[in-house]
Amino acid sequence: MAKVTFENVIKKYGDVLAVDNLNLELEDGKFTVLVGPSGCGKTTTLRMIAGLEDVTSGKISIDQKDVTSLEPKDRDISMVFQNYALYAHLTVAENIIFPLLARGGKRENAQTRLQEVAQILNISHLLERKPKELSGGQQQRVAIGRAIVRAPQVFLFDEPLSNLDAKLRVEMRTELLRLQKHLKTTTVYVTHDQEEAMTLSDVMIVMKDGKILQKGLPIEIYEKPFNTFVASFVGSPRMNLINGSCDGGVFNSPSGIKTTLSYTGAKKVILGVRPEEIIIVSESEADFTAKVEIIESLGPRAIVTLQVSNESLTAVINASDMGTFREGSLVGVKFRKDKAHIFDEADQLRL
Amino acid sequence: MKGNKSSWGILGKLLISLSFLLVAMPLLWVSIASFKKGTDLNNPTQITFVPTLENWKEVFSSGIFQSAGRSAFVGVVAVSISIVLGSMGAYSISRYKTGKSLTRFGILAAQVLPPAVLVFPFLDLAYRLRLSDTLVAVIAAHLSFVLPVVTWFLIGFFDAAPKEVEEQALVDGLGRFAAFRKVVLPQVAPGVGAAAIFGFVLSWNDLFYALILAPGNAATLPVRIAGFNTFRGVELGAMCAAIIVSVVPVLITSFFIQRRLVRGISGGAVKF
Repeated sequence: MAKVTFENVIKKYGDVLAVDNLNLELEDGKFTVLVGPSGCGKTTTLRMIAGLEDVTSGKISIDQKDVTSLEPKDRDISMVFQNYALYAHLTVAENIIFPLLARGGKRENAQTRLQEVAQILNISHLLERKPKELSGGQQQRVAIGRAIVRAPQVFLFDEPLSNLDAKLRVEMRTELLRLQKHLKTTTVYVTHDQEEAMTLSDVMIVMKDGKILQKGLPIEIYEKPFNTFVASFVGSPRMNLINGSCDGGVFNSPSGIKTTLSYTGAKKVILGVRPEEIIIVSESEADFTAKVEIIESLGPRAIVTLQVSNESLTAVINASDMGTFREGSLVGVKFRKDKAHIFDEADQLRL
Repeated sequence: MKGNKSSWGILGKLLISLSFLLVAMPLLWVSIASFKKGTDLNNPTQITFVPTLENWKEVFSSGIFQSAGRSAFVGVVAVSISIVLGSMGAYSISRYKTGKSLTRFGILAAQVLPPAVLVFPFLDLAYRLRLSDTLVAVIAAHLSFVLPVVTWFLIGFFDAAPKEVEEQALVDGLGRFAAFRKVVLPQVAPGVGAAAIFGFVLSWNDLFYALILAPGNAATLPVRIAGFNTFRGVELGAMCAAIIVSVVPVLITSFFIQRRLVRGISGGAVKF
């Protein structure tokens, strides 16, 4: 177990800046998830920890040891790649014990460890097979087995669940979480899927254009997004962002959306409202009216798309609150005021 | 629809049969000719003949098996060296883009040069090193075309091999060379097999270099076959028997490893 530290780390590919002056401390034993859109520098950051990418300038330390110029093999890490990267010419058993043998371990000792790992991951019956004879989920387990067979300082995961189908992805997610809680090894996990990031992370880091936008507990980031990008990136369906102006505690948008706010300044703002913070009410209680455009039922909840003039709002409504409205109905709408997010229109930052 | 499909099927089979005949006919003719007397061979229209083993006796007593052994030795040594050096070269070109496109072009361009350009330097060098009429000179000359072909062949395979597997090996605790040897090379094994066979056949069939660099005591199989073209004229029957000796081992080897060969060639073809 170890702390991973980045000090003024810059990574350039030619003239392109992939990681821009990163200063970061990944805490010991924590599950840290780097999340962001493609090209945000999250995978490059992970690969720099692994030693698979050189650092243009700056310093990376693992457990207070400077590893910046060390070969991957000397960094005491394990990694799981998106495409599993199993050794096709070796059996499952040989794949799993590979890191032990590669570091000069004895085959007899490796066998005991192999059995333990196979049991944890429930793949004891697959040990003599070759990777191509396994399903995607089984291959993933083998890749994880190979990562946990040693007790490295840090686990690195590069979008390991992206190639699995939706059901398996959720299952493996739970399993990974259970495994990490059990092993308590510092883990760095890269994904573009904010839902995966929210559910897995102890610490969540949102990146964009090679920079860290926000770092914190997932719930903190969800409830207090740093700017409009984080606000719309985290959460599904995404947050509604409405341009308008604020004056004396009243918000008005050009499309006709109005509501009262606790913020009393007077300026152009962007109002952020999570879909679950939109309530359908009777017209007498409503702040404004909207037309129901589409209803997507999810069973206990429904995603309702509302139209206010040229503005679209996405709401998540409980089935019990659906009432009698249908697609095409005019309904009264209200926001839960204490939950509204206000961003400055000029710099998009949270007010 | 069905009728249409089956007529296409028949046409396909017809075309395949025709192609097969085109390839097989000369071999068949050569096989039959090896059992004909000189007089029978001089009359191409004659269909019936009394088979004779005369040609085969002559070929067996001419030291053809020693020559075949030499050819095999030259081929195996040239291919072994080419695989060791070529796999490393191809890996470097594919993975690190060594020399950019110039290296890839250079390798190909060397193949376009006629062997006559290189043969005199080789001959001169062989004389100076007292290696003329030895297999060492022939092996060195064969390396000049087997090595580039093997390298060129393998670049595509290394291009197609996923980079992550190698990176995984580095993270798992191997150094760069160990990762190449234990993880990258096994991934391109079918390609290495195909390249080896391809290189061996090129060496096995070479007449030009072998004839000039080792025409005497160290004659390889093609040189020995060419020897049946004497000052009295071509000893066609014996030559045919010798050709069979030359073709059969290659055919047998290809038959047993054809699957791997086809998989290898198509595997690498993706990125060629």
